[in-house]
Amino acid sequence: MTAALSPVPLAEGVRPERVKKPGLLRRIYKHRADYLYVLPAIGVMLLVIAYPIYDTIYLSFLNLPPNLAFEDAEFTGFNNYARILQAESFHEATWNTVVWTVFSTFIAFVLGFGAALALNGAFLGQGLLRGILLVPYVISAVAAAYVWRWIFHSDFGVIGAITVGLGLTARPINFLDSTSTVMASLILVNVWKEFPFAMIMMLAGLQTVPEQLMRAAKVDGASAWNRFWHVTFPHVRHVAVVTILLLLVANLNGFTIPYVMTGGGPAGASEIWITHIYQIAFGRIRFGLASAYSVILFIIMMVLGYFYVRALTRGDERTPS
Amino acid sequence: MSASVLANTAPAGAQATAAAAVPKKRRRRRGAWSYAGIALLVVLLLFSVLPMLWMFLTSIKTQFAALQYPPQYIPVSPTLQEYEQLLSPQNEVGREFLGYFINSLWVSFASTLLGIVVAVPAAYAFSRFRFPGRNLLFYSVLLRNMFPAVVFLMPLFILMRWLGLVNTSWSLILTYLTFGLPLSIWLLKGFYDNIPIQLEQAARIDGATRFQAFVLIVMPLSSPGIIATSIYSFILAWNEYVYALTFLNDKSKLTLPVGLQRFFAEYSTDWPGLMAASFIMSVPVVVLFLILQKYFVKALTEGAVKS
Amino acid sequence: MAQVRLRELVKTYGSHKAVDNVSLTIEDGEFVALVGPSGCGKTTTLNLVAGLLETTTGDILIDDKVVNELDPKDRDIAMVFQNYALYPNKTVYKNLAFPLQMRKVPKPDIDRKVRAAAKVLDMEHLLERRPRELSGGQQQRVALGRALVRDPKVFLMDEPLSNLDAKLRVQMRAELKRFHQDLKATVIYVTHDQLEAVTMADKMAVMSGGVLQQYDRPEIVFEHPANTFVAGFVGSPAMNLIPAEVEGSTLRGADGWRYDLTGASLAKAGTAPSPKVILGARHSTIRLSKDPGAGIRGRVYTVEPTGDITFVHVRLGQNTIVVSVPPEVKLSADEAVSVAFDQDRLHLFDAVSGRALRTP
Repeated sequence: MTAALSPVPLAEGVRPERVKKPGLLRRIYKHRADYLYVLPAIGVMLLVIAYPIYDTIYLSFLNLPPNLAFEDAEFTGFNNYARILQAESFHEATWNTVVWTVFSTFIAFVLGFGAALALNGAFLGQGLLRGILLVPYVISAVAAAYVWRWIFHSDFGVIGAITVGLGLTARPINFLDSTSTVMASLILVNVWKEFPFAMIMMLAGLQTVPEQLMRAAKVDGASAWNRFWHVTFPHVRHVAVVTILLLLVANLNGFTIPYVMTGGGPAGASEIWITHIYQIAFGRIRFGLASAYSVILFIIMMVLGYFYVRALTRGDERTPS
Repeated sequence: MSASVLANTAPAGAQATAAAAVPKKRRRRRGAWSYAGIALLVVLLLFSVLPMLWMFLTSIKTQFAALQYPPQYIPVSPTLQEYEQLLSPQNEVGREFLGYFINSLWVSFASTLLGIVVAVPAAYAFSRFRFPGRNLLFYSVLLRNMFPAVVFLMPLFILMRWLGLVNTSWSLILTYLTFGLPLSIWLLKGFYDNIPIQLEQAARIDGATRFQAFVLIVMPLSSPGIIATSIYSFILAWNEYVYALTFLNDKSKLTLPVGLQRFFAEYSTDWPGLMAASFIMSVPVVVLFLILQKYFVKALTEGAVKS
Repeated sequence: MAQVRLRELVKTYGSHKAVDNVSLTIEDGEFVALVGPSGCGKTTTLNLVAGLLETTTGDILIDDKVVNELDPKDRDIAMVFQNYALYPNKTVYKNLAFPLQMRKVPKPDIDRKVRAAAKVLDMEHLLERRPRELSGGQQQRVALGRALVRDPKVFLMDEPLSNLDAKLRVQMRAELKRFHQDLKATVIYVTHDQLEAVTMADKMAVMSGGVLQQYDRPEIVFEHPANTFVAGFVGSPAMNLIPAEVEGSTLRGADGWRYDLTGASLAKAGTAPSPKVILGARHSTIRLSKDPGAGIRGRVYTVEPTGDITFVHVRLGQNTIVVSVPPEVKLSADEAVSVAFDQDRLHLFDAVSGRALRTP
C-alpha cells in the first residue's frame, strides 16, 4: 500500500508535482477537517455499536456465571454454539421465527402495497385516510400489544364475543392460550402494526411513476393489469425490495408484541429467536449462551444488511464536488 | 435555488391537470379494479380503527362494566374516572403514572436533541465531502438499522453497568441516541443533497469559511429536515421498550412502555385503567404525527425512493 | 481591479483531465469569456480561479500573487452563479449585506453600500423581498448586486444569463456590457453560448476537452479560427466544413467535384502538410447561383427564411452546407444550384491535426 510510504505532509510551498494519486494518509490529512463533522456520530456509534459487537462475540465464547463476574468466567470455545444448535427449543424457535417473519412480512407487504395502489391518485380525503391508516404504526407496540391482548381476552375479549354472537363458535376461542392459534394471532397483530409502513413506502414509490408514461400506456391501449405490470411495477421494484428487507429485519427483531402478549407461550408455541434470546439472557442470566445465539442471528442480519445497503445505495453515488 | 423551484412547478402543474383528467376515464375503464381498491381501503380502515376504538371505549367503562359477557359494545354509563385517576397527582396511581410520563418526555426529548446535534454535522459531511473512508463509515452507520436490539442488550447492559448508568435515564438516552442516529443521518443527508452547493460556494466567496457557510446558510435551510428527523427520533424513543425494560428497575425511573407493564402487573384486572393509560400514552405521538404527517412520511420514505 | 494569470493549470479527477495545461493572462479591466460546449472545462477553470476547487498542478495568480492555497474568501473575488445562488431565507437586503457582514464592515457602511448598489441596479423597492418573490431577471440583478457591493478585484460569472428567457437575455447582455465599461472591472465570464462571448467579451478563450483552443479578440477568433473545432463552434450558423483533397491548384471533393483555388486560398493550400484538408466557409462568404457552371454543383435541400435573411441548405454530394441569401431570392427544394466561395475568406484546415492553414 502506498499509505505506508507516504511521509508526513510536505512542507509549505512544495507541491506534489510527481504524485499522480496522492497516498491514503496524505488524502486523510488533507481532509482532516472533514472528519470533525462525523467524529461525534462515529464516536457514539463506536461506543454503542462496535464495542457491543466485539463484546457479544467475546461473550459467546465464555461461560459467564449469572452474577456476571468476569473473573469467574471460563473460556469454552464453541461450546455455547454447539449447545444452542443441538437444543430442541432452538429448533422449535427457529421454525416459529420463520413462520412469524415470513407470514408477517408477506401479509404486511401485500396489504400495504394494495392499500398504496388504492390510495394512489388524488381523491378527496386521501391525506386524511392515509393519516388514519398510519396511526397503528406510530403508536407504541406495548400499547398495541395490551389492546390486542384485551381484544383476544379468553373471557371478555370482543372477538370471542362476536364469533359466539354470530354463531361461529360455541365458546370464545382462547386465541393466545392455544398452541394452534397463538402464532396466527400474533402475526395478525404484527400485520396490523406494520402494514402501514409498507403502505407508505410503496405509496412514495408509486408517486415516482411518471404520469406521462401511464398516459402513454393508456393511449397505447394497455389494460389495467398490463399497465401495472409493465409500467408501475418496474418503477417500484426497487422500493419494494427495500421495503421487504426492512420488514424482514423488523420482524426478525420484533420483540415487543410476542413478549408482551404471550412471553413466548403457551409451551413455547410463540417463542421466536429474539424472545428466546431475551429469556436466556435476562430470565436465566446465561449471557454466554445468549451471546452465541445472538451471533447466529447477527450473521443472518448481516446477510440481509448486505442486500439492504446494496439496494439503498443503488445509483446514489454522485460526481465528486 | 429559484431555478429549481421554477423547474419543479411545471411537473406539479402537469400532475394537477392529469389528476383532474384521470377520474373521468377511470370510471369508465377501471371499474372492477377501483371497486376492489375501495373495498380494500374500507376493510383496512376498519382493521386499523376498530382496535383503537375498542381501546377508547373500554377506557371509559367502569371495571365492572368492562368485565361483562357479552361485552357492552357501547358503554352504558361512560365515565372518565380512569383518566381522572391516572392524571391526578393527588393519588398514588396518578403520581406513578405522571412520573412515567415525565420520564418518557425527558428521555425522548434529550435523546432527540442530542441525536440531532450529532447527526446534523455528520449528515452534512456525508453529503458534501469526499474524504477517504466516507463510504465505509456511511454504510456502517446505515447498518445500525439492521441490528436487533436484543443482540445488543447484553453488552450494553454490561457497558452501562461499568459506566454506572444502569437505572438512570442516561443509559436510555445514550442508547436511543444511537438507534435514531442512522436514520437521522440518512434523512438529513437527503435534505443536504437537495440544497444547491452553489449556495455554500457563494457564501465562501462572500467571505465565509466552510464552517460559517454551513452554520449561516445551510443550517437554516435544512430546518424542515431537522424537524422531520426530530419527530422520527422522538417517536422512536417514546415507544421504545426492550432497553427500557432491561436497563431500568427503579420504579421512579421507568418510562411509559415499561410503566404500563408494571401497571398491568399490579392492577391486573383493571382493563379500563390499562386502556386509558395506553390511550394517554398514544396521544402525544399520534398528535405529533398527525400535525407533522408530511414530514414523518418523508422521514420514513426518504432514501428508499430516491432512485 | 486586477490582472489574473493562469499558468499551466491542470485539474484531474482520477485519470480524467478536466482542465489540461491551460495558460492565459487576463489583463486588468478586461472582460474575458471562457466559452465551449458543456464538459469542456470552462466551469472547472472558473471554480479553480474562485478557489472552490483545488488545482492539481499549475498556478493561479491574481496581481502576480500565487493564490492556489488561499480560501475563496481570501482571494477578493466575487462570483455570479448560473442559478444565482441567492440565499433563499434572506431578504434581498440581507443577501446584499452578507458579503459585507462577513468582512466585518461597520453597519452604517453596509447600509450605505447596499443602498448604493440597489440604486445602481434599480431595485431599491425590492430590498425587503425574498428571492423566491422575484422574477428571474430581478434575481439576476440581486446576484449581480451581491457581487458588486464589495468592490472585488475580479468578477467571476458562471453562465449568468442562461436561466433567463431569450428577450431578457439580450437586454441583460447589454446591461452587463455597460456595467463592465462603467466599472472597468476584470471579468471572467463562462458561457456555452458563443454569441454571448462574441458580443460582450474583449477576448474569448475557446475551450474543448479541457484544452484551450484559441484565446484572442472575438473578431479574430471569428475571422481566423485556429482549428476546425473553433471554426465549427464560433458563429451561427456554424462554419461549413467539407473534407477535400488538394491536387495542385485544385480542390477535389470526396464526391468528385473540383474547385480551382486562387489567391489567398492557393497560398494556404501550399502549406498543407498532407493533401487531405478540410475546407471551411461561412454562410455569408458563399455565392449561390442558378447557373450550373458557376462552381460546385449542388441541390437545394431546404430553404429557411428568417425574415431579413434566408438560409439555404445545399447538398453537395454527401455534405450539406448552409448558405445565406437575401430574402427576395426564391429557391425551392431539389432545385439545382451551384456554389462558389469567396477565395479571400475561405479557410483551409489540415485534415489530420485540424489546425488552420495560414498564408505563409
